Amino acid sequence: MADILTMGMDVGSTTSKCLILRGGKDIAASALIPAGTGTSGPRRALEEALEKAGLKREDMVCVTATGYGRATFPGADYTVSELSCHALGAHALDGEAKTVIDIGGQDAKALCLGPEGKLLRFLMNDKCAAGTGRFLEVMARVLEKDVSDLAEMDALAAGMTPISSTCTVFAESEVISQLAKGADLCDLVKGIHRSVAVRTASLMHRLGVEAPVAMTGGVARNAGVVRALEKELGTPIRVSPLAQLAGALGAAIYGWRKQGERE
Amino acid sequence: MDKVKEMLSELHSVCADPRAQLDAALARGRKAVGVLPYFCPEELVYAAGMLPFGLWGAEMQTSLSGRYYPAFTCSLLHTALEMGLRGQLAGLSAIMVPLCCDSLKCFGPNWKYGVGTVPVIDVAWAQNRKTEAGEEFTRARFRRVLGRLEEISGKTVSDGEIAEAVALYNENRAALRAFSAAAAAHPEAVSPLQRCEAMKAGYFMDRAAHTAKLRALTEALCSLPESPRRGLRIVTTGILADSPALLGILEDAGCTVADDQVAQESGFFRTDTPVTADPVVGLARRLGLAEGCSVLFDPGKERGRELVKLAKAAGADGVLWVMAKFCDPEEFDYVPVRRMLEEAGIPLLAVEYDQQTASFEQARSAIEAFAEMLRG
Repeated sequence: MADILTMGMDVGSTTSKCLILRGGKDIAASALIPAGTGTSGPRRALEEALEKAGLKREDMVCVTATGYGRATFPGADYTVSELSCHALGAHALDGEAKTVIDIGGQDAKALCLGPEGKLLRFLMNDKCAAGTGRFLEVMARVLEKDVSDLAEMDALAAGMTPISSTCTVFAESEVISQLAKGADLCDLVKGIHRSVAVRTASLMHRLGVEAPVAMTGGVARNAGVVRALEKELGTPIRVSPLAQLAGALGAAIYGWRKQGERE
Repeated sequence: MDKVKEMLSELHSVCADPRAQLDAALARGRKAVGVLPYFCPEELVYAAGMLPFGLWGAEMQTSLSGRYYPAFTCSLLHTALEMGLRGQLAGLSAIMVPLCCDSLKCFGPNWKYGVGTVPVIDVAWAQNRKTEAGEEFTRARFRRVLGRLEEISGKTVSDGEIAEAVALYNENRAALRAFSAAAAAHPEAVSPLQRCEAMKAGYFMDRAAHTAKLRALTEALCSLPESPRRGLRIVTTGILADSPALLGILEDAGCTVADDQVAQESGFFRTDTPVTADPVVGLARRLGLAEGCSVLFDPGKERGRELVKLAKAAGADGVLWVMAKFCDPEEFDYVPVRRMLEEAGIPLLAVEYDQQTASFEQARSAIEAFAEMLRG
């Protein structure tokens, strides 16, 4: 068990993440491709991770698929919901985390963790894309910016232009109106981040927030959203550099545990 | 097992094409009355010689109903109205509309204006349903409903005929309870969707024929060897839990419906109509006895206590709340009922549903995660 290799493949709505784990603990390689389910992203992520590790797929004892596109990922030995995988992954990254917020491309989830990353309860956002990575992408497009620029713009904001609506379509109209009025772009970005934070905090309060709080998923890379959420919740949020890989990591751990059960 | 499959398939066909049941009744010269949920005294329709035909909406896209209802009205009423507006319910001699939620109160006027050709019978019942005065109010209103049904059917209905209909409906409820228990004991033979369809078919068939079919089905199920399979046992709650996609996801996740507190399912069969000298009193009293539905006035939230009891009795691993989108009574119930389940240590998952939902991937993630969580 100490040297066995397990692969976790997180096929998200906008990105594909692949992670190879040795002995259920050490990350041998990982890859992240900004293309999600239904694209070449999953295959490319798998190939890149294998190449980085100098391994072949046959070297994997098992492959566990998770994420929005888990059911269509070919050849997976196990398919597991992304909620369970993010719980396992978040626990592996931060063993003290009690509450996890995972904001991905298409949805947001609040998770309450028990011992060993066991999922005790959870809540998902409703079907609306507001408060998700997709929301930020739409807003970035309106501002003619890349989504990766938003965190830095937020840090440069002198004030904040509030975006009251949490509906993606209405918020887009609101941002356009603010642009027409000549609002400062950085202040607008700060307002957009606050809008995401307010929506996310409401989801977390419904679940019950117990510190320490950790954040996973692609949006965790956006320090502006993290700061806004910390302010809303009144508690620090821990973000691992591997936060976006938490689902894939959890999937690989799941596979490793399954192998343990079999042996 | 083949016999079970065959009978379940027949009941599936009824649900797949309810209009065929209506047409068959009309072809035999029997009038039919559309019955909207909840707690309409269907027995009076039956006693008047007509077919009570359930109107529980349908999985369809709507375009005409938006002229009468805002978008934030539950899909059950949107789609039921849409069917009327499209002429898909032509042939009904009337529809019965209970006045038990804000959206239902608007249904009659919307229907009268938009459909026009099919008369509306308003069914009012007392909110203070457990008091003597409430019972008397409901009895008087049900008598008025009976009067309208007599006009429509052209038949004077005797108390004896009402009592016979009450007995027939109670037999149907007993058959449904027995089937529910047998289905829970044999998940290898009855999927969550098949369980639901077997129950739902009763809203479109003659109740006597439905009882006969259910009894045969239950007998066949009980003759099967004891089921070795032990999936997760789930109790469902809500207004409707009849979505094939949602129930398919539940089955894929290895879940069995061990019991339910769903208005469309046990909301109909959990409580019998008491036998009383004046059978209409019994119909009114049943409303006072019923529990577990968000449209019933329930200040102490007995619904939550009943749900805890049901889940424990069924040995349930968890409760799935199929939350009807834009249903205020359901959403008002959610917080106190959730707390009662939490206090009892019973895990709960709420999944929002409406009959216009096209993608169930988010629900799939939630249900799969819930099943994984329950399995530990």
